[in-house]
Amino acid sequence: MTTSQVPEASTCAPTPPVGQLPRPKEMTQMLDVSSLVDADGGLIERSIYNDERIYKQEMARIFARSWLFLAHRSQFKKPGDFFTTYMGEDPIIVTMDKKKNIRAYLNSCRHRGVRVCRADAGSTKMFTCTYHGWAYNLDGELQTIPNQQAYPDDWNPKDWGLVEVPNVQEYKGLIFGNWDADAMSLSDSLGDDMKYYLDAFIDRDPEGTEVLGGVMKWTLDGNWKLAAEQFATDWYHVNMSHASALMVLSPTGKGPKPEIASTPGRQFTSEHGHGAGFPTHPKSRFDAQTVHEYYDYDFLRERLGDDRVEGPMTTGHATIFPSFSYLPVNGSIRIWHPKGPNKMEVWAWVLVDKSMPEDVKNAQRLYNLRTFGPSGIFEADDGENWSEIQAISEGFITNNTSLNFQMGIGNEHEDGTYPGTTSELYSDAAGRGFYRQWTKLMNTPAWHETKTRPAADKEEN
Amino acid sequence: MAEYINVGSVDEIDEGDAIVVDKEQTGAEDDIAIFHAEDGNFYALNDTCTHETASLADGWIEGTEVECPVHSAKFCLKAGTALCMPATIDAKTHKVEVVDGEVHLYPSVPATQA
Repeated sequence: MTTSQVPEASTCAPTPPVGQLPRPKEMTQMLDVSSLVDADGGLIERSIYNDERIYKQEMARIFARSWLFLAHRSQFKKPGDFFTTYMGEDPIIVTMDKKKNIRAYLNSCRHRGVRVCRADAGSTKMFTCTYHGWAYNLDGELQTIPNQQAYPDDWNPKDWGLVEVPNVQEYKGLIFGNWDADAMSLSDSLGDDMKYYLDAFIDRDPEGTEVLGGVMKWTLDGNWKLAAEQFATDWYHVNMSHASALMVLSPTGKGPKPEIASTPGRQFTSEHGHGAGFPTHPKSRFDAQTVHEYYDYDFLRERLGDDRVEGPMTTGHATIFPSFSYLPVNGSIRIWHPKGPNKMEVWAWVLVDKSMPEDVKNAQRLYNLRTFGPSGIFEADDGENWSEIQAISEGFITNNTSLNFQMGIGNEHEDGTYPGTTSELYSDAAGRGFYRQWTKLMNTPAWHETKTRPAADKEEN
Repeated sequence: MAEYINVGSVDEIDEGDAIVVDKEQTGAEDDIAIFHAEDGNFYALNDTCTHETASLADGWIEGTEVECPVHSAKFCLKAGTALCMPATIDAKTHKVEVVDGEVHLYPSVPATQA
């Protein structure tokens, strides 16, 4: 299996994503965040989790230019199938057009801005605004509007198509979008090392993966980065936060044995901010029994290699920068949608191998719900911690006190077995990498700040 | 008896689906949509919605009604009656007969004269 690219989007929607009416500079003032993050020294200033200006800057400089997970390929079977989601806080329609290309549009009418699709998912021929009836086809073109004769003679509906996400690419069923038409490709952004870890989860089955059922959605008090960073870097919390869950799941009821609790393992940190960690002790795994018994481990060792089967294949965690995370152990893939600095919405799918028999798929689904569904015994522990951090962040002294990301400083290296830069499993290395990338993007003007704005072009012509 | 056009066999239009016969071919004022309704029968209406530009053949067939895919106006497939806003004008019907498994369209002959 190789990286498959969704065909280049056509240019039917000529509207660029920003800038017909340029904003005054004072409205788009950016902050220099370099003093808020000391990635090498492992210190984080707490205001990055609750400051409104930081949050707005993240929308402009992180979410408007990074590869953001949109949907899984298996959610689209025929033209007109659609799924609505968000890129940052921008509402997005993902749909399959008549040529079976996956396209993504801003879910906002060009007339008065209402969402033109209010459903979570479904199948349609047309996206029609409920306010005045502007109707867009699957190519995002404005097909018809009521009372068009009242507009000027030279008024052209072609100029008023839905704003299209210019860059949509796929990696093994995972579809990502990027507002930056010139962004580094998804494949390069993941890099060979992140793909190595990701493939341990999504490339076990030559047939690929599919999502089961719909999306589980819940809201949490807490900044989106608290969750994204934890899934990138944090095995440290497992024995403490999840103590009761580990006891419940262990055969003795007393929790894992000392050698498993203090398991060896590796944590990967990518130069693009991604992170993944996994134990390597052969008994440090808590996958569902039915799933474990289904797998042909000889086949998997052949396909993925011994190191991957003994490491990132089973138990572990990962974040693809900025806001897509996954857990191989129960097939959870999720987005941390930002909803203001203090709130996030978690969207989680159950991902399974296509070839699994129905009963194995169902076992994985139930195991997913039990552990990391909205009321899962692990999920609830994590959400509680994130909300607790957020709850006190308005305190002046609290918020001025830096947080510690110093575990494992200096032990990042290439170990000759697992690709890329790795450290011990118990480490903040990927957290430091996550915030290094965050700082870099926050301090670098994005495409929409550096390109000539179309309104200015028009004046010149 | 008026002239008909054989638009194909019944197997070629799935139930709940519709085809469009071009006005070039029929000489009628508009393209004609032929619907295979959920009662098993075939009906034909002018394809263009009477409200705004939209193809009714692209619409949703429910029972013996079609819902326009653009603004959700509904029409009776049997009589062409506009059943709800925003449509206020009835759609024109055309007579359809099924003979020996073949669908015969009588362009511009109202269905009621069947």
